[in-house]
Amino acid sequence: MEELFLSRNFKIENGHTLPVYESGGGYQRLKKALNMDSATIIDEVKKSNLRGRGGAGFPTGVKWGFMPKESELPKYLTVNADEGEPGTFKDRYIMELDPHLLIEGCIITAWTLGLRYGYIYVRGELQFAIRRLEAAIKEAYAKGYLGQKIQGKDFDFDLYVHPSGGAYICGEETGMIEGLEGKPGQPRMKPPFPAVVGAFNAPTLVNNVETIAAIPWIIERGGEWWASMGIEKNGGPKLYGLSGHIKKPGVYEAPSGVSVRELLEDYGGGMLDGSDLKGYIPGGSSCRVMLPDTLDALMGFESMREAGSSLGTGCITFMDHTTCMVRIAGRLAHFYHHESCGQCTPCREGSGWATKVLDQIENGNGRMEDLDLLLDICDNIEGNTICALGDSISIPVRSYVELFTQEFEDHIRRKGCPFPAWSLRSSASTRAEAVAGAE
Amino acid sequence: MPKVTINGTEIEVDKGKSILRAAAEAGYDVPHFCYHPALSAPANCRMCLVEIEGVPKLQPGCYSQINDGMVVHTESERVVKARKAVLEFILLNHPVDCPICDQAGECKLQDYYIDYDAQESRVRTEKQNKVKAYPIGPEVVYDGERCILCTRCIRFCQEVTQTDELTIVERGDRAEIRAFPGRELDNNYSMCTVDICPVGALTARDFRFKCRVWLLTSTDSVCTGCSNGCNIHLDHFRNEVQRYRPRYNPEVNDYWMCDEGRLSYKSVHTDRQTEPKVNGATVNWHALAQAVADKLGKVEDPSQIALVISPQATCEDIFLAKRFGEETLGGVQFYLGGKLSGDSDEFLIKADKNPNTRGIEAVFGGTDSLKSFDDLLADMESGAISVLYMSGTDTPCDAETRERFVGLLDGLKLFLHQSPHAGEFADKAHIILPSCTHAEKDGTFINFDGVAQPIYQAFAGYGRSIPDWQIFLRLARAMKKPFDYTFLTQIQEEMFAASQAPEPEPEPEPEAGDDESSAPPPAE
Repeated sequence: MEELFLSRNFKIENGHTLPVYESGGGYQRLKKALNMDSATIIDEVKKSNLRGRGGAGFPTGVKWGFMPKESELPKYLTVNADEGEPGTFKDRYIMELDPHLLIEGCIITAWTLGLRYGYIYVRGELQFAIRRLEAAIKEAYAKGYLGQKIQGKDFDFDLYVHPSGGAYICGEETGMIEGLEGKPGQPRMKPPFPAVVGAFNAPTLVNNVETIAAIPWIIERGGEWWASMGIEKNGGPKLYGLSGHIKKPGVYEAPSGVSVRELLEDYGGGMLDGSDLKGYIPGGSSCRVMLPDTLDALMGFESMREAGSSLGTGCITFMDHTTCMVRIAGRLAHFYHHESCGQCTPCREGSGWATKVLDQIENGNGRMEDLDLLLDICDNIEGNTICALGDSISIPVRSYVELFTQEFEDHIRRKGCPFPAWSLRSSASTRAEAVAGAE
Repeated sequence: MPKVTINGTEIEVDKGKSILRAAAEAGYDVPHFCYHPALSAPANCRMCLVEIEGVPKLQPGCYSQINDGMVVHTESERVVKARKAVLEFILLNHPVDCPICDQAGECKLQDYYIDYDAQESRVRTEKQNKVKAYPIGPEVVYDGERCILCTRCIRFCQEVTQTDELTIVERGDRAEIRAFPGRELDNNYSMCTVDICPVGALTARDFRFKCRVWLLTSTDSVCTGCSNGCNIHLDHFRNEVQRYRPRYNPEVNDYWMCDEGRLSYKSVHTDRQTEPKVNGATVNWHALAQAVADKLGKVEDPSQIALVISPQATCEDIFLAKRFGEETLGGVQFYLGGKLSGDSDEFLIKADKNPNTRGIEAVFGGTDSLKSFDDLLADMESGAISVLYMSGTDTPCDAETRERFVGLLDGLKLFLHQSPHAGEFADKAHIILPSCTHAEKDGTFINFDGVAQPIYQAFAGYGRSIPDWQIFLRLARAMKKPFDYTFLTQIQEEMFAASQAPEPEPEPEPEAGDDESSAPPPAE
């Protein structure tokens, strides 16, 4: 893309500071928004086709519409910055390189919906992002963009950074709210939804970092303009984090609905020399893995679903022919097993079971009936849990077993992993050591 | 009222009721672990998943409320499969050590496995190892491997006792229940967590490895620890009380009882006097009654006789003691015995440690006709009382006064001691009349709130002890002034007619889905 929006300040020196941000038109959008009324802004957001960028893709304008107008308790804004899914790394760039864009978005959102307090719930490991955000918030307070009587309006808004304790499950909106309240991050039953009973029992808006960061641009240039940079129902430019066996991994801004092939070849520079694409995960590890024949799928929520997976966060991991899919499935299962909060039975027990069965296959102790067992475990977890983490383990594991059945069977037949690299059964402690040993 | 269709049965239920409760009303049991009628519903065990038409995912029956026109299936193929899956998941890391588990026989996991799963294990992987026999509190022992993390105990400490001792540490399948750092599960009701634990994760230190529960016989009774009169299951084996369990009664104790009351069963088996004795010689009841009649008949002035009434006794015992004193002996002095008041709280524990103080008030029409224990001491010192007929070993006084009282006993012409327990009186008493504890007789207690509650005999009296009312019948017969009673029911009829004692109301049946802890173990 020629003009950058979400990543405009990424490559500008000191782009994270207030003076640089303001020189690029920063906080002018806030001043504009303060002269607009709430209904107009919500309308613009609806028109923009902005979809929640945390992975679920719920239309942002509709979500805003759910917030009650009147409330006895102060309403809260919680920005979900607990970015922890393997393969996903877009929000941290905004927080580290352009924190004021996020802050301005927060203030406009709060003005629109009458929110009194805002929390940016940042993944605890992102210390750099936390420091940058805190510094930026300090700057914004000093300039009167935050605090009381903002820009002379009858509008008070305080914004805080809340470092997460470091649990993937706190990225689930109600888990995050529990964490914010100082409790163990265990998702709540819904309903009631956070818009009705959220943080501290008050109505709470939960939005992703990238979603909020889009708001200033929608205010500046209008919802229709934003929607024009995308496909049907998926509006606006988006950040794509590309990783895996490609030449230029990194975060790139491209319109919604760009094809995977375009992202891989035009932005990511193509696969590494000598690498053949074996599969890719389109939007974070909880999505179904996809085969190379779907490279022309468009990066939109509906189009990805039609192609057999989901857009998720839009951060793609490309895997080449040297990748052992059993090991990948096992590695992902390990992650979800480790991160399962342990609250409800199917996820707590099923994630561990699936992990152990996958390890068993990878380590050469698998049996053919284990494949059916794996699918059955996935079946039994899926849809039966309190939150979506249960689905996050069953959906990918099922996809690996279904799409790479041959490879799983090979493991079982050969009683071990056919790939000559580091494996779980290896005594080598690092990948480098194992590769050296294999050669 | 909203109408719902559950498994084809259309019923009307109150608004806001959970599907689980509604299904119970329609006669369908929805299995559940984490749901308890007295606690909030976290819907974490996923055992109660039900199918609602028009809702794509299965929904937890304990959490989902009914809506008008809802069509629910609790036994459909999907539900049965999900239930089976949840049981398989729970058993995945469960040690299945039923042969050495105290919960075996009253374990919901066992029951549901038989009812809904009963399949061969598909598990080849290793189980998680967790803490075993962890002393989570002074009265309770925790087994992490058996724990299914339903959080009932945590919610009990949050919502019922509001002491907040427990939490979950770690996450995923490494999660365990623990007390917060520096604390332990040490509140007055901590052993209720053992009752509500659906599996053998929390066991009572007192009952651990003591008796298999299927050997227990359960008798409905009332705790005698204080005047609250918590309803209990008195579980006994071979004429020995093994434990008390609270019995559901929303008017009195709900599902709970205090630890002190729960452990008060031990008094049934300690310090018992079992043989009728006259001047230290063991005699039979007939000879004893003759001796008592002989001695009491010789007392010229009945006002010299002090009859100490104990509020530890049942209404029937007190009623007959009153008639024995007023009619058989005529004009004796009544004194009030019983235990000294103690600690209380705002929940179940009452300061009055006697189960039947209100019973005395009902039978005597107030306590004005009874003199206090201090009066008894004064009258004994002044010589106004020379014959003491004492029921019970308890004295409502401090240790010093009790010592003085025991000293004064030597000056009595005649001291009759009628009690299940010996106390310090065994050597002092001229005549020992061994009576039964509440576990060995039928009767009625009236609690602090005026609720009359029946107790039932669990087993025969220790040794040759008999209930107090039978003792009075024997004595009256020996004194040639027999009462016209043979059975306790005859006494009750007359007592309820003659006194202000309210008749016990029929026990409230647990509401549908409220069956927690009210189900007795299978009879012997």
